[in-house]
Amino acid sequence: MAECVKVCTQNFGKGAQDIEVYKKLGGYSNISERLFNMSQFELIDYVQRSNLRGRGGAGFPTGMKWSFVPRGTGKPVYIVVNADEGEGGTFKDHFLMLEDPHRLIEGLIIAAWALGSRAAYIYCRGEFLPCIEALNKALNQAYAAGYLGENICGTKFSFDIFVHRGAGAYICGEETALINSLEGQKGQPRLKPPFPAVCGAWKSPTCVNNVETIMSLPWILSHDPSEYAKMGTPRAGGTKVFCISGDVKNPGVYEAPLGTPMMTMINDYAGGVVGGKLKAVLPGGSSCAPLTAEEAAVATMDYECLASMKTMFGSGAMIIINDTHNMADLLNCLGNFYSHESCGQCTPCREGTGLLHRILNQMVAGNGHDGDVELMQSLSSGFGGVTICPLSISLGGPVSSYTAKFRADFDEYIAKNPEHAKPRIQENYRPGIFW
Amino acid sequence: MSNYYNMPKLPTENSPKVEIFVDDRAVMVPGDTNLLEALKAVGIETPHVCYHPYLPVSGNCRQCLVEQEGPRGRMLVISCYTPVTPGMKIYTPASSARVKNARKATQEFMLVNHPLDCPICDKAGECTLQENYMEAGQNEGRLRPEYGKNYHGNPEHQFIDAKGQLRGGKHVDIGPRILLDEERCVQCDRCVRFMRSIAKDEQLQLAGRADHTYITTFPGEKLDHEYDLCVTDVCPTGAMTAKYFRFQKRVWLLAHTPTISMDDSLGANIWLDHADGRIYRVMPRCNPEVNRSWLSNTSRLAFQQFDKNRLPAIDASAIQISGGKVALVAGGACTNEDLAALKMLKDALGDRAELFGGSLLKVGAPDGIAKSGDPVANRAGMQLMGFADVAELLKRAGEFSNLITVNADLYGEDAAAAKALDKISNRIALSAFDDATAKKAKVAFGIRHWSEVQGTMVNSLNILQKLSAAPTCPDEKLAPAYEVISTLAGNKFNSACEAFMKAREYVPAFADITYDAIKSTGKLLGGNA
Amino acid sequence: MREHITGAVQFVSNNHLKFDRPAQPIDALPDPGQKFGYVNKPVPQPPTAEVLAKLNTPEIKERCADLLSRYPVGQAALLEVLWLVQGVFGWVPREGIRWAANVCGCAPAHALGVATFYTMYNHAPKGKFLLQFCRNISCTIKGAPSLIAYVEHALNIKTGETTPDGLFTILQVECLGSCGNGPMMLVNDDFATDADGDVLTMKPGTKLTTDSIDRILKWCYAHENNIPKHDVLGGTVKGHCGHPGAPGAIAKPQVADYAPPSPVLNVKSEADETGATLTWKGAPEFTKIVVEKKNGDDWVAVGEPGVKDKAFVDPNGKVGDEYRMIATSGERVAKPSAVAVTKQKPAPEQKAV
Repeated sequence: MAECVKVCTQNFGKGAQDIEVYKKLGGYSNISERLFNMSQFELIDYVQRSNLRGRGGAGFPTGMKWSFVPRGTGKPVYIVVNADEGEGGTFKDHFLMLEDPHRLIEGLIIAAWALGSRAAYIYCRGEFLPCIEALNKALNQAYAAGYLGENICGTKFSFDIFVHRGAGAYICGEETALINSLEGQKGQPRLKPPFPAVCGAWKSPTCVNNVETIMSLPWILSHDPSEYAKMGTPRAGGTKVFCISGDVKNPGVYEAPLGTPMMTMINDYAGGVVGGKLKAVLPGGSSCAPLTAEEAAVATMDYECLASMKTMFGSGAMIIINDTHNMADLLNCLGNFYSHESCGQCTPCREGTGLLHRILNQMVAGNGHDGDVELMQSLSSGFGGVTICPLSISLGGPVSSYTAKFRADFDEYIAKNPEHAKPRIQENYRPGIFW
Repeated sequence: MSNYYNMPKLPTENSPKVEIFVDDRAVMVPGDTNLLEALKAVGIETPHVCYHPYLPVSGNCRQCLVEQEGPRGRMLVISCYTPVTPGMKIYTPASSARVKNARKATQEFMLVNHPLDCPICDKAGECTLQENYMEAGQNEGRLRPEYGKNYHGNPEHQFIDAKGQLRGGKHVDIGPRILLDEERCVQCDRCVRFMRSIAKDEQLQLAGRADHTYITTFPGEKLDHEYDLCVTDVCPTGAMTAKYFRFQKRVWLLAHTPTISMDDSLGANIWLDHADGRIYRVMPRCNPEVNRSWLSNTSRLAFQQFDKNRLPAIDASAIQISGGKVALVAGGACTNEDLAALKMLKDALGDRAELFGGSLLKVGAPDGIAKSGDPVANRAGMQLMGFADVAELLKRAGEFSNLITVNADLYGEDAAAAKALDKISNRIALSAFDDATAKKAKVAFGIRHWSEVQGTMVNSLNILQKLSAAPTCPDEKLAPAYEVISTLAGNKFNSACEAFMKAREYVPAFADITYDAIKSTGKLLGGNA
Repeated sequence: MREHITGAVQFVSNNHLKFDRPAQPIDALPDPGQKFGYVNKPVPQPPTAEVLAKLNTPEIKERCADLLSRYPVGQAALLEVLWLVQGVFGWVPREGIRWAANVCGCAPAHALGVATFYTMYNHAPKGKFLLQFCRNISCTIKGAPSLIAYVEHALNIKTGETTPDGLFTILQVECLGSCGNGPMMLVNDDFATDADGDVLTMKPGTKLTTDSIDRILKWCYAHENNIPKHDVLGGTVKGHCGHPGAPGAIAKPQVADYAPPSPVLNVKSEADETGATLTWKGAPEFTKIVVEKKNGDDWVAVGEPGVKDKAFVDPNGKVGDEYRMIATSGERVAKPSAVAVTKQKPAPEQKAV
């Protein structure tokens, strides 16, 4: 594996949580005359030229997202950092914030300059208390050093950052749900349009960006944008922080250029598959379709290739599964997860994820029946594009792809039920009682 | 929850018409509204559960899906939140199998955890789920019983029933007027939105999440609001039921009479739901200009007194007007027809008679929902007809020797102030009820209640509205007030229509209006009242 | 197709049965829950006075004031105020929820909805050590279920239960965002795959094993009386100015002219026989754009395209001419754009027919 430029993870293990160390490592060098002499428009254009795409999963070009924010509406513009990382297999933001909180602050100042924000909120999931502590400590230092607050570094620009602790809801990773949660409501996604860039938090223009996206900005600003763009693929520039978990020798966070072959990631970065032969790879977190070993051999880790293989890049969270696992178990795991995390708003998701979860649970518990797989496939087809947010598809997609690619695993479980062929009636079922 | 500020835009008569393509056919629809309303305007009903025209759009039931041709091909969209744009291409189940399947799937999910207790459910017959199922579904259930229902609800209400099934939240006493059945709730959050956006008092909330969501008040608090019974109207299922109507009558056995609630000058439009000659319930009747879909508890529950303490009909010859001045007092619930008859009586009596109207109750402030706060329902009509306020009568009570009150319970409203009327010797009360004024009167003459008469009234928004008579009069011999008074005046009106013809003579604003031409939502009168 | 429905409705509406019964309301059926017994007992709630006494302290008041100064609307602080309640009690009692609602100025029912929506708020007291095990896909792959079974066996309780001595509560939760260390756990607020001497650790590359669980449990027993205390909101930040307009905030709204005005970007000039055509990238804030052409040492204005225009043609332009553009945003004039030297327009590509 070629040595890769580290954009976000360069300070890992160097004690950059402290502002002095961070500054020695070149931190806050962007908060200088060069930035202060840039107009908002120039800065946005700069980011657009770097071809930075949102790292949260959807991969929307960051510069374009910023350019959608309306100017001169008289309303404040908010930046909200989405640190509600909760998708199975994703853990990059956790370590990015823990190891290098000042980089996030520096990135936020840059983003705020581009958007004219007065206040930014870092919405951090409740479980990441150590990250929140690290961020608050870093914020205290940054305030003391004059990088935040009124008229930072002697300019007319004022900027504050607040950390908002979430309280345990995966769905708050969806940007409008996150905004609702930030407003002190239940984290339920909103109907769109209006999009948050126009009407978000407190009905003001709001930009929701992932931690990694913001943390890429300091590097981009201190280099030429084309340098960043060059590292990636034509449609998305830069490096990506990959999270590799599951059956590999060295699971962890690895930064690599976009477009790196999947097997390079598994074998060179993560030390290869352990415990058995490679059975499947989830390339972009728990909600994406799995790739079989054959497909993984030819896949590269970027938005385009994975989309062409009918799965997705997502947040670059690779989960490696060896052949000792039954995919039905793992799907049951996802059923647990998504039925637990459905916000309860849209009917298909609320009832459908729960029902799929019950069917899977019964199947794994040895109560599977012939036709269960077809039933699940049929139920999950009812999710397609009918809900406000894609959470229902996050379970519906895996149900169809797991059952299509690993049908034998499910049949194995169903066969364990000696009475799988005949419909079962509850033992004490007595018809005719209403309640 | 979602976007709590999205009130739907509703089409009006003046909506610009735009051309859209529904199932590849060009149709003209109102252009300033959402797709669901636009399709309804051209006769295409779209099943929906959470959408309500007078509540913010929540878009969570996903039942009203249609397909829309967009830049990325045909996409499923919810019609309740999609604005009409000229030239848009829409596909309904009539042409799109995808829409049909999506709606079917949504319906299946909706019913997964919904109890099949329609036979004992009060909402049966007017339940949105039932209607959607009968109109658009009728799909056979395919889940084998072992999947079971996953009844959710407040964990504190869960129990295990005789079949070993986990159940929860039956007969939850959620407020003094409402019972909640958590199992039947489909989490459309209409009631939450009503309490938050209309009643402005967020007493209800969906607690929990996923399929364990349940409706609740804050523990230990009760749902108690002047408009709380409206949540039973907006509830699409039998989850919220009104205690007063529970198990009283199957809704399909009820006949409906459209009329006006005559206890407030906004004149909320209502349905009187009656059977077997008595009223079982009062429901709001939608009128976009007046009360929309809302009705206060006071107006709604007033019917419980309509058939109690009634005066009997007696012979009209009992009414004798002696010499001296005559005060004719119309109560707040008098229709324009009653007023016209009184005015005719005044003309017959000549200068010695004077007209008064109103009540001694205090006038409150409008609540912005379905009440103006003025207990004199037809005050605008009285002003049009030239009735003086009763306060004037109290000041000059000594001048009069005859008092005829028509449904005006002055003694009941303010006994102390009404004492001034004791000076009038010949007091005649025409009243539906045996109230304080009737008791103190020399002659108490039973007449019909406003729920039993035809007529018109002018509300505080200057809208002429029509009352219809429900066949719930306890005694066939009781006559409407206008009939009795016009007989006294020597020119008996045989119908409200005739009386209205007389009213037209008195009120220029009524001049071009015929009784039959008044629509169910009323007619806005030109000019000031 | 609908005949049978119409028939049924017809039958009902022609029904002449008399329902002769008194007008009195009929008693509703009794609550079946009372007959069968409720599954869950209500959580005993502490007395209101006790809850309020613990919450209405100067420190908490100060924290609340700090939180409320951060948001334009008080309700936004609800999650954080609920955290403070949980910090005091270890769970959120009902009266604590009501108190939080009052602090934030929202309805108590709203606060209840929020407090029950998020799973990290406990609605019943928990053990001193809340052991949360991730059961999501990555941890399951690496053997979380067997480890959870091991802990359940070791502590002799099931998931969701608390040990009789009130020390441990086991919970299975969804992804904790540390899949690289899977399986792993949270001990109260600390990520842990091992206990190293006096601290719980989660070093890169480590994962929970039965041995390390034993060490963690041993650590818990050793720290029964001195549990490392975390601030529920991760500490306070000094020096922030709050949100403009919020109570107690000193922040003023952002001034509009903090940054220099936007210049015109990406100016390109291509000439053909009709003259030089300029293209550029404009910003929405522009109110006026002036095109200037180099004439000797001077810059001469040659035109003023509209702010929405996409192109400008100088009929006298030739290859080699130098242009620049100057944008005005309101009252402020931006620095001139980079100079564009006119190039020959490439011949239009011949489309293959």
